Amino acid sequence: MLEKGVYFFPLAVKQCSLSAAHGEAEVDSTLEAVRPYRRASPDARAAYHEVQTSMLRFAALLLLPAFLFADTEGVNPLGSGADVIAAGRGIYNQSCTVCHGVDGGVGDRGPALAGGFRPQRRTDAEIYDAIVNGIPGTQMPAMGMNSDDAWRITAFIRSLRSSAADFPADGDAAHGEEVFWGKGGCGGCHQIGSRGGLLGPNLSNLGARMRLSEIRDALTVAKPHAPRGYKPVTVMTKDGRTIRGVVKNQHNFSIQILGDDGKLHLLVPEEIQTLDVRDKSMMPTDNEQRLSPQEFQDLLAFLSRLGSEGKP
Amino acid sequence: MRLFAIVLLLAAPLAAQVSYQDLLDPDPADWLTYGRTYDSQRHSPLTEITKENVGELGAAWIYPIPSAGRLQAVPVVVDGVMYVSAPNEVYALDARTGREIWSWRRQNGINRGPNRGVAVLGNLVYVGTPDAHLVALDARTGTLVWDVEVAPTDEGYYNPAPPFAIDGKIITGNAAGDYGLNGWLDAYDAKTGKRLWRWYTIPRPGDPDFGSWEGDSWKTGGGATWLSGSYDPELNLLYWGIGNPAPDFDGDDREGDNLYTESVVAIDAATGERRWHFQFTPHDVHDWDSVEIPILVDAEWEGKPRKLLAHADRNGFYYILDRATGEFLHGTPFIDKLNWATGLDEKGRPMRVPSVMPTPQGNFVCPSTSGATNWMSPAYNPVTGWFYLAAKEGCGVSYKAKQEFRPGGYGFMGTGYVESPEEPWQMFVRALDLKTGERKWQYKQVSSRHYGAGLVSTASGLIFAGDDQGFLTALDAVSGEPLWHFNTGMRISASPISYAVAGKQYVAVSAGVNVVAFRLP
Repeated sequence: MLEKGVYFFPLAVKQCSLSAAHGEAEVDSTLEAVRPYRRASPDARAAYHEVQTSMLRFAALLLLPAFLFADTEGVNPLGSGADVIAAGRGIYNQSCTVCHGVDGGVGDRGPALAGGFRPQRRTDAEIYDAIVNGIPGTQMPAMGMNSDDAWRITAFIRSLRSSAADFPADGDAAHGEEVFWGKGGCGGCHQIGSRGGLLGPNLSNLGARMRLSEIRDALTVAKPHAPRGYKPVTVMTKDGRTIRGVVKNQHNFSIQILGDDGKLHLLVPEEIQTLDVRDKSMMPTDNEQRLSPQEFQDLLAFLSRLGSEGKP
Repeated sequence: MRLFAIVLLLAAPLAAQVSYQDLLDPDPADWLTYGRTYDSQRHSPLTEITKENVGELGAAWIYPIPSAGRLQAVPVVVDGVMYVSAPNEVYALDARTGREIWSWRRQNGINRGPNRGVAVLGNLVYVGTPDAHLVALDARTGTLVWDVEVAPTDEGYYNPAPPFAIDGKIITGNAAGDYGLNGWLDAYDAKTGKRLWRWYTIPRPGDPDFGSWEGDSWKTGGGATWLSGSYDPELNLLYWGIGNPAPDFDGDDREGDNLYTESVVAIDAATGERRWHFQFTPHDVHDWDSVEIPILVDAEWEGKPRKLLAHADRNGFYYILDRATGEFLHGTPFIDKLNWATGLDEKGRPMRVPSVMPTPQGNFVCPSTSGATNWMSPAYNPVTGWFYLAAKEGCGVSYKAKQEFRPGGYGFMGTGYVESPEEPWQMFVRALDLKTGERKWQYKQVSSRHYGAGLVSTASGLIFAGDDQGFLTALDAVSGEPLWHFNTGMRISASPISYAVAGKQYVAVSAGVNVVAFRLP
């Protein structure tokens, strides 16, 4: 990893200076050049995606070598295996939860480490440093623990923010797939590949784009509002039809509905007798009650592996 | 040869495009400043487009400026020529056909912030630049006439503010307070670019309000001047809204009211001295820039004629001040979801709810930092006597963390905010009684969560409003009923205008990367 980082640095600098002179086309070629190294470390990958997607692509690109170096110098010597994470979770939930909350949730004094809001991207080395030395000027103290334990906690915190496919749930994924299409009833609304219903989001890539905690929450915690594109709707038309489905888009002057008949219904106000758009999602969140503990765990194991490359 | 000289002599004054007299009393066909008139009422006297025929309005032309990403500029129209700007770019268009007359580009490699428009005076067009300069271009050719530095760009400053032309002077602000860079308001000689005065938004040692900042925190206090203002020629006072204090979300090391952030200030246009100020949000920790355009109205107040200033603030309150003295006359919320204050006291100072502050874990704040309103301009219709604005309902979760100031143009916000999952955002157009702030009607812009599109009022009783779905909609100014709409296809982040060419009325708006103009068949 270190070797790649060292090799990468002059390449990136060369490309960045080219970019400064020649504009965005060169940024694109730089992206191509760094693509092989984007998996060198989690931060390299994050930086790569940031460069890819940011409106400030060029500015972010300049930071890319810094991310790589920071990580190669402070890479977690214990790795990020399931055993390391499990050990880290145990220590974390004994030592850190007074301020930060159980499993990285909301605590009383410190930030929710698994939260979606990330004011600054932290490398493993920075997380480790914060645990061992504290953060001056804040309430974060030096934790006074041995370095292996600090690295274990670092691995756990990192896992909180990694996609489910990187740290999939334990369980029998093959049985989870049976639950998905059978007792769970998930396939009525969700597709995997081209199989399944249309009213909910396609889940083919679920494990790659969501964290395990987010998948568990989606199955168990009701969202206050259905996301855009998934609000349930019932329409009575002036020509006497009743259409049920989800709102794909809506404005004062038209509405686009995907019906439970699998068809699109595109209406303007003049065609509508009554319109009932609900804010609450159709997604059931009593799955932990409806399924046995084993079924629920196996379903999680299946869902968290969706989208993992080279794995079933 | 003699004849040629006479022609030249005659041509010079004739070619003067916009005089100060024009700015004081604009031709109904023109749109000469950001807010059309010095009082920023955004009320067009044109009446060809009516409630009855607005349904027939159609697109006349579209002019794309792809480099802009999302235009925020309000176009200016002078005698059939439209001047519209993007960062580092100005275009002169035939306002009847949308055909380009000239374009000007600045090659400086710096592209900070949006650009919100130009000013015109005499033969010159004025624009602020991403490297924090103010430049003057010949209005007929786009040739650069002068170019001055407003603020040092290597410190991180830029200039998104629309310049503001008064008699012989060009007023401009700068940005960015979010970098911990202190703001100021400048006046430049319109002909030469020589700086005439500078007023600092953060009091410096010796100023009576210097003590409103803890320790040295004033040195990185922010207070940007990133939008336009209004002007009362009789009082010779400029009215400008001042941006947020820095670090935005962490006020722990800047105890005090942090003047003159989150204030409207009255500045003597002759000297640049401050006459009065009124602070909407003392010691702000929510990044609620008070730059929203103040509207000036002369009206009766408790039986006596009074010079009023109306301001709908990003903090959710609507204010009426006496603009001669700065006296607070009335204030009331214009949004329903407001949890940070229980009201305003008799001086107009908010009665804070102490618990509604950003925290390391995140805290629920209504309105969110994105604000109850923002740079999109409100409008005033003197016939209805109502103040119209784009209002945002919804809440945020606000965080804070310690941050060190870093010179050179880096964020100094002390962290940030996200949209609250419990109370997502929703845009409305609302009509308020000017004097009471009472809500007369509202129009919900379905699916619109993001702001940016302001309003224009017309003498025929129409309000034109944009939204983030790309729709430009005509509303009945009395009832709020939608009478016409057009899907421009791109998010609208600028305020529409109305003008006329050859006796034909147009409505135009910057939508996404396009300037779109409409007229009747």
